[in-house]
Amino acid sequence: MSNTHAARVNRRDFLRLSGAGLSGLLLYPSGQALASMPAESDLAILYDASKCIGCRACERACKTHNNLPEPEAANTELSPTAWNLIAARGGVDPDNQPFFNYQCMHCTDAACAMACPSGAMAIDDRGFVSFDQERCVGCGYCSQFCPFGIPQLGTVNLITGEGRVAKCTFCQDKIEAGTGGPSCAEACPTGALTWGERGTLLAEAKTRVSELKAGGHSGALLYGEEEAGGLHRLSILLDQPSAYGLPEDPGGSFFLARLYRKIVQPAGMAAFGVALVGVVTAYGLARRNIHMEEVE
Amino acid sequence: MSVRLKGTDSVVHIRWIPRYTGLERFLHWVHTASFIPLALTGFILFLPVLGCGAGCLAVRNLRILHRIAAVIFGGTPIVYGLLQPRRLLMHVREFFTFCRYDIQWLKAAVPYYLLGRHAAMPPQPRFNTGERLNALVMIVGTAAFGVSGLGMWFGKGLIPANLYLALLIIHDLAFIVTFAMFIVHFYLAVIHPMMWQSLVSMRFGYVSESYARKHHARWYYGRERAIRLWEQHTAEGGE
Repeated sequence: MSNTHAARVNRRDFLRLSGAGLSGLLLYPSGQALASMPAESDLAILYDASKCIGCRACERACKTHNNLPEPEAANTELSPTAWNLIAARGGVDPDNQPFFNYQCMHCTDAACAMACPSGAMAIDDRGFVSFDQERCVGCGYCSQFCPFGIPQLGTVNLITGEGRVAKCTFCQDKIEAGTGGPSCAEACPTGALTWGERGTLLAEAKTRVSELKAGGHSGALLYGEEEAGGLHRLSILLDQPSAYGLPEDPGGSFFLARLYRKIVQPAGMAAFGVALVGVVTAYGLARRNIHMEEVE
Repeated sequence: MSVRLKGTDSVVHIRWIPRYTGLERFLHWVHTASFIPLALTGFILFLPVLGCGAGCLAVRNLRILHRIAAVIFGGTPIVYGLLQPRRLLMHVREFFTFCRYDIQWLKAAVPYYLLGRHAAMPPQPRFNTGERLNALVMIVGTAAFGVSGLGMWFGKGLIPANLYLALLIIHDLAFIVTFAMFIVHFYLAVIHPMMWQSLVSMRFGYVSESYARKHHARWYYGRERAIRLWEQHTAEGGE
């Protein structure tokens, strides 16, 4: 009697437990797919907007290394053939600092990798978001989930939906071969783009922000230390993120991607499982209890 | 139709009653034939574990099959509405009509389908409560598939990303509900030992008079008479 009473869960407890379980599913990292916190030794790129002169050497180096076609006119938007872009997206004061380098932000909480059904987008052990074009099935989910609008889907045929996605890979081929790092950072003549271990770059960036503030740039800030779980493309900005077209809180789409993968799809599989087990059990009971000679 | 029982002189007279038109049966099977490849090809994006299991090139091509099947699936009710609008309207009106007998039917359905106890089953119209629930799920599901599917197909990159994500989740929820219902519908219509006449009616268009009287009394007798007979039957406590 007392055990029964002790085991009884009232409605408030049930709601509390359900809420905790749901939150856990959404917030608990999914092991291999995503790391919970970026490590100091992860690889990262640091972009310093105050040093960028908009020479587009990064764009050209990216195209050369990845065998991407050179356009007749300069790219104005990211595309399947432009993975690195110097542009002014957010209406930055042109007299102040008009340029920003747009490329994959390599989020720790990468909504693209969470949403990708084929494993083409994945979190590399070294922290960046790798991309395997051969595995891409062209669903375009990554292009819709990314809070920065980075992966671009090139739709070849609107009727068949045939298309391929492409984005910055952190020059993963060079990293894997040990022959260097991201070509954009290696080509930058002013040191606006550098690469290395994330912990080291973070320390450098914080020092640089302090220097900029001391030098009169009161709006200088570091973007990417904690956004979307911590970016592996850190940015030193001279103004608010919105001035560069960057979201203040890019974590929302990761929540949606997690909801999609961790709640909606498992719930679907559970529903199918319950339906299948239900009909098999029902069939067993029906066969045992229903006498066919009585069936009209 | 008269049938002589094997090895005896007994003759059984079976009166067949038309239940579905030829077009209804044809479109039902077209709808089924398009739903299955839609579900199978949809599973590949729904379940990441399948991912590129069939080969990434194959997955890319399966998307075309998904779109062809989707057009057939969505076009079927439109063709029905164009060719037999009165029948469609009549059925839809019945699908959306529920009364207290439907609650009784749901309560009695478990002992009926599991144990074969028919006594508590209240009189039903042309479509019983389960069939109407299945139809409702399919109508709402098809509409949800249509809106979300067309939005994702033609709106990718054009509509706001959050709207796209909402459509994706609606598409998946519609799939979850309709596929779970499809499993139950398939079991009851094809596998369940007592429902063979239902399958026969969707094949040939007819049910026997005795089946109609027992399972769809409100359709066979008319609503008033069927309810009167049912109340009389339950008052007598008869089987």
